[in-house]
Amino acid sequence: MTKKQKYWIRRVVRTIITAFGVTLIAFLILHLSKGDPVKIMLGPYATEENVAALRAKYNLDEPLHVQYLTWIGNVLKGDLGNSIRYNRSVNELIGERIGPTLILTGSGLVIAVVFGVMLGISAALRRNSLLDYFSTFQAMFWISIPAFWLGILLLYIFGLQLRWVPIAGMTGFTSIILPALTLGLRQEAWFARPMRAEMLEVLNQDYVKTAKAKGLKYRIVIWKHALRNALIPIVTMLALRLPWIIGGSVVVEVVFSWGGIGSLLVNSVLARDFPVVQAILLIIAITVVLANLFADLIYSVIDPRIRTAG
Amino acid sequence: MQNNDVTYENIRNDIKNLKRKKSSQMSLVWSRFKKNRLALVGFIIVSIVIFIAVFAPLLTPFDPLATDPINRLQGPSKEHWLGTDELGRDVLSRLFYGSRIALQIGVLIILFEGAIGILLGVVSGFFGGFVDSLIMRIVDILRSFPVIILAMAVAGILGQGVVNVVIALGLVGWTTYARMVRSKILSIKEMDYVEAAYSIGESRFSVVMRYILPNAVSTAIIMICIMMPTALIASATLSFLGVGVQPPSPAWGSMISAGRDYLLKAPWISTSAGLAIMFTVLGFNFIGDGLRDALDPTTKKN
Amino acid sequence: MGSLLTVKDLKLSFSTEEGKVEALDGINFEIEEGTFHGLIGETGCGKSITGLSIMGLLDNNAIVESGEIMYKGQDILKLSERQLQRNIRGNEIAMIFQDPSSSLNPVFTIEQQIEEVVRMYQRSAKEKYKQIVVDELKKVKLPDAESLVYKYPHQLSGGMKQRVMIAMMLACNPSLLIADEPTTALDVSIQAQFLKVISDLKEVFNMTVLYITHNLAVISEICDNVSVMYAGRIAETASVHDLFKNPQHPYTYKLIHSVLGVENSLDELEEIPGSVPRLINPPPGCRFHPRCEERIDKCDKEVPQTVEIAPGHTVACHRRGSQ
Repeated sequence: MTKKQKYWIRRVVRTIITAFGVTLIAFLILHLSKGDPVKIMLGPYATEENVAALRAKYNLDEPLHVQYLTWIGNVLKGDLGNSIRYNRSVNELIGERIGPTLILTGSGLVIAVVFGVMLGISAALRRNSLLDYFSTFQAMFWISIPAFWLGILLLYIFGLQLRWVPIAGMTGFTSIILPALTLGLRQEAWFARPMRAEMLEVLNQDYVKTAKAKGLKYRIVIWKHALRNALIPIVTMLALRLPWIIGGSVVVEVVFSWGGIGSLLVNSVLARDFPVVQAILLIIAITVVLANLFADLIYSVIDPRIRTAG
Repeated sequence: MQNNDVTYENIRNDIKNLKRKKSSQMSLVWSRFKKNRLALVGFIIVSIVIFIAVFAPLLTPFDPLATDPINRLQGPSKEHWLGTDELGRDVLSRLFYGSRIALQIGVLIILFEGAIGILLGVVSGFFGGFVDSLIMRIVDILRSFPVIILAMAVAGILGQGVVNVVIALGLVGWTTYARMVRSKILSIKEMDYVEAAYSIGESRFSVVMRYILPNAVSTAIIMICIMMPTALIASATLSFLGVGVQPPSPAWGSMISAGRDYLLKAPWISTSAGLAIMFTVLGFNFIGDGLRDALDPTTKKN
Repeated sequence: MGSLLTVKDLKLSFSTEEGKVEALDGINFEIEEGTFHGLIGETGCGKSITGLSIMGLLDNNAIVESGEIMYKGQDILKLSERQLQRNIRGNEIAMIFQDPSSSLNPVFTIEQQIEEVVRMYQRSAKEKYKQIVVDELKKVKLPDAESLVYKYPHQLSGGMKQRVMIAMMLACNPSLLIADEPTTALDVSIQAQFLKVISDLKEVFNMTVLYITHNLAVISEICDNVSVMYAGRIAETASVHDLFKNPQHPYTYKLIHSVLGVENSLDELEEIPGSVPRLINPPPGCRFHPRCEERIDKCDKEVPQTVEIAPGHTVACHRRGSQ
């Protein structure tokens, strides 16, 4: 067995352990409360019978590990449970709302990466110029604004005052603009600064000098030789920022009343609808775990030093 | 050059010299920090916010909790500099008291997260091996959840209030600290003066006490300045989402949330709180950036 | 055979955080066509900077104060970046650097990197490029060139990488090759092999080379003429034979006698006391005077002029031939 194979086996094992741990956390979170979750959820006017019935329906009288195993067993069969609040299958609920969330997260990501990378490169190429300082400053600006307030601000200016875009809900093409911008602009800072730093470091490397010494055009030196190296760490950055992008999208969904699983999650937490909360937490975390594994895979392919190693 | 007398004294002196280099490095760092104008601006902003927080009772004209429904949703005026909110409370006073909540929560969060994180980070870095792997696996698992989402779920379960916010964010956010401290410990373990001290027989414990810990302390101080923005934004977001600190408590996040319904008629409610958060966070970010540059100027200049 | 490249009175400084660094203060030397001209000096004396300034590859904070670099009748110091890129770099003057591990782009294969050059300077049919690349590699005696081309730099040893660098630069068909300490990063055992490749450049390809190094032994082996540099100035220029037979400058003398194996034995190994000056505030007058045993009163006041004491042999020292 080669070193490389050993590495990947260990990596996959680590991923499985992490995934398992994730399910544990998703499950245990909701059992942190001291009171009876059903009683709290049904409110002060619930009768003893209602409480008992609901408890039985959701297996709440079983010991903890049995509940966990039942739940995991169902999940692996594809059944995410039943929403207490809506009395519908969680699968259905999520199925309805996953689309909008993917659209939002996707467009936010695209904005963040495209703007961030472009700004970072430009700043590095024109170091210490006005553009450079502007790029650093705007990066700091965006990460100093809470996502929810940025959303409200944009909503106020462009939605209420200028009336350029709709102010709530998913009403057609223009309604994605503000949410995507809110999400994307904040995350863009996390790509712009590392991109600039990476680009600067690459530009200092000897092989860039060699490329120039060969008599290559400036354009080719930068876009072919320098960039091909500087972009490699961006893959890692993407995987790193994914949890934050997802977290941000939840907040953005609440601000803009965007019907995705983010706003569903928030409402469910407030309503103590724990099957829904568990399911969404699980989905999000597993997505992140898989994305990290995937990013590692991609990285090992695009960097020849790793691809051709042992 | 045949001086083969490598004495105990010689090594001791070498260690002392290396340590002296370290402390003169500290004053060099401080002078570099002072020269950074943005960092000074940040310092001023943060000082103002701290001042307001500390002296809020003396500075506010009104009781932040006192409702006055007749005068609700008034615009900024001579009496109410920032207007009134939907229950007639003075926005300025609420803003000032909000700074108390913000800073208190921020510091508590960082201390709580920091305590857990630093402890686990030190244990992980120092002992290595199985303990290290175990703790790092837990870190991986926790980091698969977006911080806000997990904290929201926890805070939602625990209930409202400052304490629950701190616990929620603390249980979820310590991973950053643990990682930072662990890598610092790992790199210090390699450093010259630690090797030298081991070689002359100092006990492991005294090595930690005398050489590793002071470094860790300075790292921690810097960590607080750098982590404050995250803590502030996180707690404000939780308030906004409906968990954590809620009205009538004048937390900035919940002020923004409450003001949302009145954006058109009374934008000053949300706006003032939003600007407050923004400037405070900016201030800490400037300081944090300044500290980072002062400690490692190689990335900035030529 | 005339001079291919002449550096005239080159003055260059760098603006840094701590002040102005006077890196080159009036450099003069001439490289004859078809010869190997050595440029020797300790670390920090400015020899690499001289090479880089010929190619126009210095950092942005470099300021050319005055001087000329005449190449084939043109002052290339005055050329714009665009003109340098188009006309000079590669096809006229090429350069290889010190550390082969970092001089080759890690994400491209050898073939891709050399083909880039071949496509620019040896236009031919597309299918022929790979063969041309292999041929170029064979010129520097790289074994198994056919399969080597598909490898990545990190898969090659240091010596092989350096030879790839030479092949790559040779493929540009330059008239002048600048070699900046090419063996410094290589294992001693590889150096001899590498030097053979270099000397082939002269015999087989008739190249003109500016060879920058701090290793006197190498100079004695492969160079025809040599300029000795100290703290940004040229101390002495002569043919290699004359330099070793009749060193004029006190620094040159010390240099020769501090190297093992060059006409002396173990007992005579001397050290030059003191250290190389920092060029932010260089010593006044002759920059070597603080370490010179022969210094006189004048030495810390006046800059010594360069004087020809024999045909092709110049020296800058108050105590040699200037009176």
